[in-house]
Amino acid sequence: MKGFGHPTLILLFLLFFALLPYLPLGIWRAFLLDVGFFVLLFTALALSWDLVARTGQLSLAHGAFFGLGAYGAGLLAPQVGTLPALCLGALAAGAGALVLGWVTLRLHGLYFAMASLAFSEVLRTLALKLPFTGGPIGLPVLPPFGGNWPLAAYYLGFSVLLLATALSLWAERSPFRLAQAATRQSEAVARVLGVQVVRVKLWSLFLGSVVAGLAGGVYGMKTLFLSPYDAFSLARAVEALVIPIFGGLYTTLGPLLGGVALVSLEQALRLWIQEGYLVVYGAILILVILFLPRGLVGVLGRHRG
Amino acid sequence: MRKVLGFLALVTGLAFAQTSLKVGVILPLSGASAVSGKAALNGIQLAADEVNTAGKVRLELVVVDDGTDAAKAVPAFTKLMTVDKVDIVIGGLASGVTFALSGPVKQYGPLFLAIGAASSVVEQAFEGYPLLFHYHPWDYHNVAAALQFFQYLNREHGARKVAILYEDGPFGSAGIGVYKQQLEKLGYQVQAEPFKAGSGQFTAILTRFRAFAPDILYWIGYDVDALPIATQARQVGLRPKLIYGAPPSWPIGFEKNPLSNDIAGMTAWLPTVANPESRRFVDAYRKKYGEVTEEYMAPMGYTIVKSLALAAEKAGSADKNRIAEALASLKMNTPFGPLSFKPSDTGRTKYQGFGPEIWFQFQYLQGSRRPVFPKEVATRPLRYPGEYYLR
Amino acid sequence: MELLLQTLLNGLLMSGIYALVATGLALSLGVVGIVNFAHGEFLMMGAFLSYLLFAFRGVDPLLSLGLAFLAAFLVGGLAYQGLIRPVLKAPELNQMLLTFGLAILLQNLALLLFGADTRVVAPPYQATTLSLGPFFLGAVPLGAFLLSLAILLLLQVFLTRSRLGLAMRAVAQNRLAPGLLGIEAERVYLLAFGLAAALAGVAGVMLSVMLYASPTVGFTFTLKSFAIVALAGLGNLKGVVPASFVLALAEALVSTYLPGGGGLVEAVFFLVLFLALVGRAWREA
Repeated sequence: MKGFGHPTLILLFLLFFALLPYLPLGIWRAFLLDVGFFVLLFTALALSWDLVARTGQLSLAHGAFFGLGAYGAGLLAPQVGTLPALCLGALAAGAGALVLGWVTLRLHGLYFAMASLAFSEVLRTLALKLPFTGGPIGLPVLPPFGGNWPLAAYYLGFSVLLLATALSLWAERSPFRLAQAATRQSEAVARVLGVQVVRVKLWSLFLGSVVAGLAGGVYGMKTLFLSPYDAFSLARAVEALVIPIFGGLYTTLGPLLGGVALVSLEQALRLWIQEGYLVVYGAILILVILFLPRGLVGVLGRHRG
Repeated sequence: MRKVLGFLALVTGLAFAQTSLKVGVILPLSGASAVSGKAALNGIQLAADEVNTAGKVRLELVVVDDGTDAAKAVPAFTKLMTVDKVDIVIGGLASGVTFALSGPVKQYGPLFLAIGAASSVVEQAFEGYPLLFHYHPWDYHNVAAALQFFQYLNREHGARKVAILYEDGPFGSAGIGVYKQQLEKLGYQVQAEPFKAGSGQFTAILTRFRAFAPDILYWIGYDVDALPIATQARQVGLRPKLIYGAPPSWPIGFEKNPLSNDIAGMTAWLPTVANPESRRFVDAYRKKYGEVTEEYMAPMGYTIVKSLALAAEKAGSADKNRIAEALASLKMNTPFGPLSFKPSDTGRTKYQGFGPEIWFQFQYLQGSRRPVFPKEVATRPLRYPGEYYLR
Repeated sequence: MELLLQTLLNGLLMSGIYALVATGLALSLGVVGIVNFAHGEFLMMGAFLSYLLFAFRGVDPLLSLGLAFLAAFLVGGLAYQGLIRPVLKAPELNQMLLTFGLAILLQNLALLLFGADTRVVAPPYQATTLSLGPFFLGAVPLGAFLLSLAILLLLQVFLTRSRLGLAMRAVAQNRLAPGLLGIEAERVYLLAFGLAAALAGVAGVMLSVMLYASPTVGFTFTLKSFAIVALAGLGNLKGVVPASFVLALAEALVSTYLPGGGGLVEAVFFLVLFLALVGRAWREA
């Protein structure tokens, strides 16, 4: 760690987002808070993906975890209140993850990715067809805490990011990191070294899915409306993996940097270029990965392996 | 000196006589509804140009893209309200996005001129909001217009059996329950099957329908389904007397495809309608953009801006409430016919513009679309049974 | 019984195009070792080429087939040289990001140039139907199926008889030792990637006649191709055809026999995939 250590940067990021509503932003405040909210959520989702990727499991199911959390929270909030509903939604996502994880223990690489994608699509169809989900028309969702606190959604999103960052940092700094890295590099060798591979994989998937589920729940409470195409969106699952690669894999700072950069970039491009902004977006993705193979964190200094 | 001052006063007075409006426009310029969104924007910009040239009202448009996505729409709308500080917003094309915007709209309270958003779910979300002017018919109006056509087919042409193919997203599934119920009331036998939009694979469903031998094949989906349905119906030997579709738009090049002959559809507008306002719009559109559009969202956007300008002129002020008042009592002719605002059938919308009367049915024939029903707007009779039945 | 046979027939015809597109992906995945999210965009290019030639020059799509093959091969080769080659040694995830960026760029470029409207072509034989007893066969799906089969057979011959083809198979089967091939490796990769794109381009022309051309038509096929390749097994080029058939058949059976099946087709497709992947993994243990 040299000079501007990574933990300092991470702390600065979090502080910035915590204080954003109180910064002198003038007329841009409301807009930036809205953008900031989505930055928080999608960065948290990206962190939750990275957490799972560290074990070598390339998940395309994070869209499903997001959706499970969103629908779970949205359906239960009228009965049990905002916070319990969010927790229950996240647990639903966790349960889904455990099922998926256990069944796919022997699948790796592309096979695992495809199986997780299949899992996600099946769930989306269920959300579309089951009677209590509101079907294709969608599900209206109540605002958090009865709409009494206007910054509620923003700080809920911030809390999810905080949790995601904490989990990611814990995984990076504890012996868990070695267990994850060993599992990622070779499960057979990891087993020989005494790593409980099954537990590491399932635990990582569970934690990642819970965070994704929380993010989904908060998302529904902000947009006040859920539809299966939106909540279980494949595009979101792909975004969850694009951000960590762009920012820097298997780190906490990487997804944070990547999330802030990509989500804000997309919003900014849409406002200032309008038509064809996605062409520029695609070009930027290509250029960054060609010239910064370690992602954005590669710019900042030595990458701890 | 006094003459100079007097002259200055006169000029300043004239300058103030012109009402200046800053209008926010939030439309899907990317994403699933981009085709309709861009057409709407074209119509809006054309109308704005005309209004500014006429000089009585000055319009400044601030355009943002909602990406047909709530996550993009909400910040874009917030920007319009807080950074650009507009009081008047033209938007609300896609229903899902408009639903997501209902909260922020109620929070910031602009004069909201809705160009689309046919879903009744949106009507419920906006219930009680005093500054909503909903131009587009609601989905129950669309259903009513279609049912009128079905009734005509049943009474005058003896159609008894209808097979419905509907896409399993919100667009197709929204009215299906109502359709089945009402069609049965009209005396039809109904069979309905869902399909995944864009899959292009209808052979199985159409084969099943063949056993049912429907008189009418009715499909509710998107432009991508038109050709596969027409082709595959023939390929499985399904021969309905009428193929009738209700997509928001049709594929480019379809009219040149002989398979489109005698396929019927419903629309609010065609460039060929006889309405003088429409002809004027088509000419102006062609002059500005170099081509003719078939999208009815273009004249819809045009109509909204024209009506807004008229209301602003009447009110003589840029205040949203005064303009709303003026708009509420406005009567004008549009490419769709006469426009005026009254409460909707359900009473939830205070200012509903167009209703089922703007819908009409057309049929493709040798490269062009002609209105065939209702009789008042028909330029030629309906060909029933269609070519696909006869050959 | 008749319905069952007709259903099997429908599935069979669809599997041809699936196999064509999926084989392309299997080539780029198995030989070059790259996860190409932009694979479907070559299909989209083929479809648009077919439409543009038809709409502006009146060229029948049958003629566009060859042109699309060449054009897609060219574009694929260029993409390989300029974008893929630099990241061949990079981690797999980096490659994924690159091809994903490429997919977004190509799709939105098409959107920018042509707009989001769906476009259709109108060759005179579009709805021609042949009847085989009580069974109906669309001439175009049949033609597409036979053509796909022919192309795949030619590919098979190339892979088993020509030197470059054998080199490709060697690389596909054992990705750890491509260095042994020396200079050949570069040519093999370029050829494989170009071929992959060309196969997709040809499929795109066929689809333009059967369905439509639009900037977003490629994505669904990218997805299905990945599923088919995963089902067949990486590096198993021969397995792509039976895997395509299994999936196309599952789609056809579900659409026909399940009430409301039309809406469930994709879910069943993915369920089959999931069960197959999981089942195979547990069996191998």
